[in-house]
Amino acid sequence: MNLESLIALLLVVLIGWYLSFSASRLDRLHHRVETSWATLDSLLQKRAALAQEIVVKSNLDPATAYLISTSATAARDANLVERSSAESILSESLKLVQNAALDNALELPSELLVELSDLTSKVKLAINIHLEAVHATRNVRSKLIIRLFRLAGKAPLPVRYKFEDDAL
Amino acid sequence: MKKIRIGMVCPYGWDTPGGVQTHMKDLAEYLISEGHYVSVLAPVSDDSIRVEDYVVNAGKPISIPVNGSVARVLFGPLASSRAKQWIAAGDFDLLHLHEPAIPSLSLLACSAAEGPIVGTFHVSTPKKKAIYAIGPILEPIVEKLTARIAVSELARSTLKAHFDTDAVVIPNGIDGQKYANAKVNPEYSGPNSIGFMGRFEEPRKGLQVLIDSLAIVARFIPNVKYLIAGPGDSEEFLKQLNPQLQSRIEFLGRLSDQEKESFLKSVDVYVAPNTGGESFGIILTEALSAGTAVVASDIPAFKAVLENGEVGALFKNQDSADLAKVIVGLLRDDERRKKLANNGKLSAQKYDWQVIAEQIESVYEMAIAGGQRVTLSSENRFWSRR
Repeated sequence: MNLESLIALLLVVLIGWYLSFSASRLDRLHHRVETSWATLDSLLQKRAALAQEIVVKSNLDPATAYLISTSATAARDANLVERSSAESILSESLKLVQNAALDNALELPSELLVELSDLTSKVKLAINIHLEAVHATRNVRSKLIIRLFRLAGKAPLPVRYKFEDDAL
Repeated sequence: MKKIRIGMVCPYGWDTPGGVQTHMKDLAEYLISEGHYVSVLAPVSDDSIRVEDYVVNAGKPISIPVNGSVARVLFGPLASSRAKQWIAAGDFDLLHLHEPAIPSLSLLACSAAEGPIVGTFHVSTPKKKAIYAIGPILEPIVEKLTARIAVSELARSTLKAHFDTDAVVIPNGIDGQKYANAKVNPEYSGPNSIGFMGRFEEPRKGLQVLIDSLAIVARFIPNVKYLIAGPGDSEEFLKQLNPQLQSRIEFLGRLSDQEKESFLKSVDVYVAPNTGGESFGIILTEALSAGTAVVASDIPAFKAVLENGEVGALFKNQDSADLAKVIVGLLRDDERRKKLANNGKLSAQKYDWQVIAEQIESVYEMAIAGGQRVTLSSENRFWSRR
């Protein structure tokens, strides 16, 4: 075997290895986006349910209660496109509850309040984790070799939600 | 939180003193006391030393210079296969890798594993320092981290600059009670004792700045005493001083943990004159929780811990005249010194392990929420690719 064909063979093997490496890297990322979204989604659902419960069990004024109740319902019913803005509105209105609690103007079972602040910090973490997974996946998918060989297959491009960080 | 099996990886020699090691030891012991199972994989320099039961020895580290100090790291085929064995045998729910972007054991573990992985970044360095300049090679490895923790805003911005990825900031934890309840040792306590602690031979620790301030301070407060703790050769520093000043300075050598606690509690003022390269400044929080007034250089990491001078005094970095002014001011005004120390003690409560570990546990909880477990990554499992 002459040198040229040896080099060519080596090159083919190398490219083959790199393709397989990239494919498993991308597969792992897709998987991660799915799980991180599932986690975030379930936390957000929980939060919406908690918001409804707070409305029922507290002495919030009717206007605030109405606002929280409608935004919780909106967040639950939102489709993929509206989801992030609906959740942000819910975050904003839940802040009213926390502020009212700080002013001692609120009668609310304390375990609900603890659960709310616990859930809020968890949602923050889950958003951070999810956004990172989305970011990394989109980053890898934009690479030339991945697009050239269609390594992403039919997996949908993960959506970049605009969760307003400071609103949470 | 439910009890889980946690595998932690330390990049530096376990038996060498250092911030990362201390942090990991405290965290591991806290988590064990909470009922979790913890195994720590770490390089160990000295085989004859007995390490804690939860530590798995990964081999002898080698020394390379990093960031102004010498890091004892471990890599190579043998270390890599040890990491793989440890991961395969550990049956972990979660891996917690410390400093996974430093070429050492954590990086090897990260490349060998997949599943829920949390990484903690301790260092903050300017972009393009040799050790961090290998971004493109590290990218596919670092992106495996499910969640990232940075110990300070500085470490977080380093991470952003190097890998374009964000992290949750959770500072290093300390056992505040230990320092608050330490015994006052008359050898270290006043009148007018100034404390310094660290590997003082390293220029970035800034001992020279402190020593240069002595001439001025001694003029205003003749009975001032500088107490220098830490391993190193004191000759270099002493011979540049005149004999009269020499008597005002004392080198204590390396202190045991207990001595350290009472040292921080006993001195009137603790000084951290570090000139840079610090990411967090754990020693400051320890001195603060001992209830001692702290003076530190105004480098970003220290400014953050001292809340811009609210809970400790700052001086202009590398300016020994300014340092002298601040020290004299504090020693002469007992009222202000006590107030500062008190503010500091309150502020240090947020670094208490109880608080910090809870935050770390919620990161764990989020990372494992997907229900996966840690396995060897598919590249390492020839028998089953999926």
